[in-house]
Amino acid sequence: MEYLELDIKLNPVSPWDDIIVSQLAELGFESFTNDKTGVKAYGPTADVNMEEVMAQSILGNVPEGLTLSFTQEVIAEQNWNATWEADFEPVFVEDKLTILAPFHDASIAKGMKVEIQPQMSFGTGHHQTTWLMSKALFAEDLQGKRVLDVGSGTGVLAIVAKKLGAGFTMGTDIEEGAVENAIENQGRNDINDITFLLGDIDVVKEDNFDLLLANINKNVLKAHMPTYAALLKSGGKLKLSGFFESDVDELVTIAAQNGFTKEGVLLKEGWAVIQLIKN
Amino acid sequence: MAKEVAGLIKLQIKGGAANPSPPVGPALGAKGVNIMEFCKQFNARTQDKAGKVLPVVITVYSDKSFDFVIKTPPAAVQLLEAAKIKSGSAEPNRVKVAQVTWDQVKAIAEDKLPDMNCFTVESGMKMVAGTARSMGITVKGDFPSN
Repeated sequence: MEYLELDIKLNPVSPWDDIIVSQLAELGFESFTNDKTGVKAYGPTADVNMEEVMAQSILGNVPEGLTLSFTQEVIAEQNWNATWEADFEPVFVEDKLTILAPFHDASIAKGMKVEIQPQMSFGTGHHQTTWLMSKALFAEDLQGKRVLDVGSGTGVLAIVAKKLGAGFTMGTDIEEGAVENAIENQGRNDINDITFLLGDIDVVKEDNFDLLLANINKNVLKAHMPTYAALLKSGGKLKLSGFFESDVDELVTIAAQNGFTKEGVLLKEGWAVIQLIKN
Repeated sequence: MAKEVAGLIKLQIKGGAANPSPPVGPALGAKGVNIMEFCKQFNARTQDKAGKVLPVVITVYSDKSFDFVIKTPPAAVQLLEAAKIKSGSAEPNRVKVAQVTWDQVKAIAEDKLPDMNCFTVESGMKMVAGTARSMGITVKGDFPSN
């Protein structure tokens, strides 16, 4: 995604740096950096309307006593994570699964081998949540089962499910780059029949799933819960992750309100997976 | 043995909204940190403050690991919240858009004192009140005396 950078020089800097941040945060900007001369603001080009910014912030209405100037620059999308991705360690999920990059020596793999090149997508197994979700898949009989992976990132969980014998398998992600990457990664693993879709949960037109995987975050999981219930068949399984052990009770309560029974919780270094069954 | 610090990165990111784009991507990526790991952790830790601007100080170590401290929102953001408005005045000298109380100013000053260039709550309150005035927010009443 293309980002717009506003480089804003302020004199005096304080309190105007704080004020401009409070204004731009309501005008499509997501992140900021501060230095001795002012503030840099960053937002997706698509979310920022400079006319609106000029009308509704001190950029266009410079108050008395403040000297302000700014420049804008569009920053093209690129793989900022390339340095890490060029040289990461393989991940072993006990002796069941090894997640490797194309540059690793495949002979070190133990158990199932899955090759992933992430391209700035999430899901290499390094994170505790991916590791736990992968491990949880090995405890299921997935033969011929219908599987949905929401927030599929690199596609790693869908790929593992498919390699464990899953039937119809689908992944969705709101990031275009992630969907492209998941399609590439299934190809790396000689799979061609996982459907990866771009968009939020509402892009899923299939239902009657046996297993739904969602490693996202607490707020999205809470909002999605009724849809997860609608997409799963009775007795179908839901595995949630992307949150801390301290968030488990809150999510289990909401899951129960949506017709799920807790089967168990897996923990690793403070992160959690909740395993649920649809009543 | 303590790990060797390779650098400190200071950013302000909306709660729940860290992603690998600028400034997070270039700042962390250049140091060889796994950006996705940072985003997952930052977003998980800020789910209850989603959408609020949060200053974060990230310590990157020479082994490419990192940890980070999330601070409370900047005074101006807290003032908007206290005044229950979305943005300050476009012409703060002429158009006042909201009011806050000295109690609210004091609460913000106490909260932000560690990040401000002052030593007492009273001087912090004066700074926060100055920020409020610059935003077209009036502080009700006189500065409270002990």
